[in-house]
Amino acid sequence: MANQLIIAGQPVRSRFFLGTGKFASYKIMQEAIVSSGAHIVTVALRRIDPQAKDDNILEYIPKDCIVMANTSGARDAQEAIRVARLARALGCGNWIKIEVIPDNKYLLPDNAQTILAAEVLAKEGFIVMPYVNPDLADARRLRDAGAASIMPLGAPIGTNKGLRTRELIKILIEEIELPIVVDAGIGRPSHAAQAMEIGAAAVLVNTAVATSDDPILIARAFSLAVEAGRLAYESGVSPIKESARASSPLTGFLR
Amino acid sequence: MLRHKGFFMETSIKVRINGEDVLLAKEASLAAVIAGRKIDPQAVVVEYNGAILTREKFDSVVLKENDSLEIVSFVGGG
Repeated sequence: MANQLIIAGQPVRSRFFLGTGKFASYKIMQEAIVSSGAHIVTVALRRIDPQAKDDNILEYIPKDCIVMANTSGARDAQEAIRVARLARALGCGNWIKIEVIPDNKYLLPDNAQTILAAEVLAKEGFIVMPYVNPDLADARRLRDAGAASIMPLGAPIGTNKGLRTRELIKILIEEIELPIVVDAGIGRPSHAAQAMEIGAAAVLVNTAVATSDDPILIARAFSLAVEAGRLAYESGVSPIKESARASSPLTGFLR
Repeated sequence: MLRHKGFFMETSIKVRINGEDVLLAKEASLAAVIAGRKIDPQAVVVEYNGAILTREKFDSVVLKENDSLEIVSFVGGG
C-alpha cells in the first residue's frame, strides 16, 4: 500500500482524482467513480437550464466522495471568487479548484489572477486547490497565500498529450512542500504513472476517462497506473545507465 | 371593458433571470419562480442582486422591478 495522501490535514483515500465532465450520462459517470475508487471528484457550477431537465449530479456521486467544485468559466480572480462562494453555498464543503482561464484556444490558466483568488479564498476558509501553469515562483506565491496543493497542468486541457511539462513539474515536486497534483493533459494510464513515478502526489483526469469507449474500465486502468507509479516512486526507481549491466551472474558460464 | 394604458406595467415586473429579462407577476416570491420553473430547490443556490441566498430564504424574498437573479447548480466538470 502506498503512503496515505493528506491534503489540508484530511486523509484522501485515492491518489486518482476524477473530473465529472463530458460523460455520456450521470449513470456512467457514477460507475466510473466507483470503478476508479476516486475519493476526490470535481464538478462545475452553471446557470440552470429549465429545459434540460437534468437530474441533480450530486445524487450520482457516492456520498463518501469529496466534491471539489471548480471555478471554470471564471476569466479573472473576482469571477473565480464569486463562483467559489456560490459553490460553497450549495453545501458540499470547502474544497475549491481555482481555475481562471482567459484564453479560449489553449485554456491555459492565468497564474496572477489565480494567486489573487487564492489569497481571498484561503482567508475565507476554503481548501484552495489552484490549477496553474507550472511555475516555481508562482507556486511559492500560492503556498504563501494558503493553497492546500498546487495543481500544475501536464498539457492543455482535453489534449491527452501527457506530461509535456515534466521538467517543470519535477521542480515543483522538489521545491514545494505541498502536494503536487498533475491536472490536465493526462491522456493515458502510462502518463498518469509517469507523473506518479516522479513524485506527484496525485493526478486529476477527466477527458481521457469520460471520452473513452469504456469509461468504467479505463477509470480502473488509470487508478491502477496511479497506484503503480506511486509505489515505484516510494520504492525508489533505479537510475538510467548508458551501457548494459547484466542481470544474471557473470561467472559460472557453461563454456 | 375599460383598458387603460400602463395596465401591463402596473401588474407585472421585469426581472433578470440568468441573463434574460423575464416578466413576472407583481409580488412574485422567489420560491414561486423556482417552483414555476420546475427547479428542485435542493439542487440550486441563488444569487439575488449580487448576494448569495441559500434555499431556506427563497420563501421570504419578494421580487421587485429590475431585480437580478442567478440560479445555479452543479454540473459535470473537470
